[in-house]
Amino acid sequence: MLEISDLCAGYDGVPALRSIDFRVGPQEHVAILGPNGAGKTTLLKTISGTVEADSGSIGFDGEDLLPQAPHKRVEAGIVHVPQGRMIFASMTVADNLRLGSHRRVARDRHDERRELVLEIFPALAGMLGRDGGALSGGQQQMLAVARGVMACPRLLMLDEPSMGLAPRAADDIFEGIARLLKSETTAMIVVEQRAHEALEVCDRAYVLESGEVALEATNQELLADETLAATYLGSGAGSP
Amino acid sequence: MVEFLQFLVPGILIGGVYALLASGLGLIFGVMRVVNFAQADFMMLAMYLSWALFAGGFGLDPFLAVPAVFVVFLLLGMAVHWMFIRFVIGRRENHDAQVILTIGLGLIFQNLILIRYSSEPRVVAPSYANAGDFIGDIFISRVRLYAFLLSVLVAALLFLFLNRSRTGRAIRAASENWEAATYMGIDIDRTNRIAFGVGVALTAVGGSALVTFQSITPFVGFRFVVVMFAAVVLGGLGSVSGAFVGGVLIGIIQSVSQVWTSAAVKNVWVFALFLLILYVRPNGLFGKVQRAI
Repeated sequence: MLEISDLCAGYDGVPALRSIDFRVGPQEHVAILGPNGAGKTTLLKTISGTVEADSGSIGFDGEDLLPQAPHKRVEAGIVHVPQGRMIFASMTVADNLRLGSHRRVARDRHDERRELVLEIFPALAGMLGRDGGALSGGQQQMLAVARGVMACPRLLMLDEPSMGLAPRAADDIFEGIARLLKSETTAMIVVEQRAHEALEVCDRAYVLESGEVALEATNQELLADETLAATYLGSGAGSP
Repeated sequence: MVEFLQFLVPGILIGGVYALLASGLGLIFGVMRVVNFAQADFMMLAMYLSWALFAGGFGLDPFLAVPAVFVVFLLLGMAVHWMFIRFVIGRRENHDAQVILTIGLGLIFQNLILIRYSSEPRVVAPSYANAGDFIGDIFISRVRLYAFLLSVLVAALLFLFLNRSRTGRAIRAASENWEAATYMGIDIDRTNRIAFGVGVALTAVGGSALVTFQSITPFVGFRFVVVMFAAVVLGGLGSVSGAFVGGVLIGIIQSVSQVWTSAAVKNVWVFALFLLILYVRPNGLFGKVQRAI
């Protein structure tokens, strides 16, 4: 579904991604792990087009993505839930969700999708009339994910959905994502610091380091191998 | 008290027009962070168009010409965005280019009109230009009342457009966070183009509302540019509703100050209040840290 090869990108000539090879199969769920500054967010931004690639290629369903404008990539079904939530704070929760269904195929399905996202995140149901800025951090993150789901994504990209949240709020988010994946057949990329939570909802993982793919493994391989787990999933990982 | 009301009512009426003029400037700044120094010259062009439609043989009433003026300036604004503005937005280092481009456009407009129509003041005087009605002891000029009602109507339509239409919501989203709006699949270049067109058209309609009591010269923009900028900053940069309140407030101060001091110094009072409000609220009356339109 998504085929990335030899991708390089950076900011003002400072490279952030060096020759990345990356693949997501249809309906596959892939985690991207790695330390801060490894290029995880840049990779997602290069896929959605808010960061320009310097070289390499990104194919989506066999089509070359790089010449396409960012909004065209959303039309193709690539939906990015950005780091830091980026909800529209001055607009109501309902309007935020409505903007989520801006994508052409999602427009007519707005009501049906809204029902779905309110089932996934029941906490949002009573807040439709509130301004996005009035929500708590956890609720804002739910709204950000819900807004992405409104677009009927074919590839959903979540950038650190638990960032800055208390453990319980983070659990709520991951439970919502798990509920979503029961009813949806979308492919997904999750960038996470909480490697274990991410692996629970993913089939495979890439570990990025200094802009390069340091490791690619299925989650069984990662969790089974204690050395790998200790190296890439942080201290205490892999132990019971 | 009656004397006070005699100044307050016209102040509110002209304030409504200021509000409309300023809302266009505020919309453009709110959406694409461009300070359009040519805004008052778009207003001037619209005044000449209204004059041409009225005096040029058509005899079209300036208030009835408003839909045509709106459409012409919507398209003109979109064309100017497509030809020039889109190349100088988005990047921080382009602020100088924005200033030079928009001031340059304004100068070109002024001088093209000067060449074509000379600097002779033009007037649009429909049959009811001097008519008015007394409500109690207060005289209300017919044309100023119409100008005010037109402004209120256009403001209501703008509000509906921004809040109820898909494109309007996309414009608000893009103005609040262009990156997030991009992730929604919103075409930022398109929303900018439409917002620039609508912003120019709003100020143009404000210009049409003025022609029945404001003579037209190629440099008439100078009379209004300061008021427009003050209204936008007063209301809070980037807030369209703030620009409205700012415009009405300036109209009231200009007018009511004449109870006590000469009309020649009315703008002194405007700027005294302007500085006071910015001293107390540096982001303007409705300015938030989180921007919104």
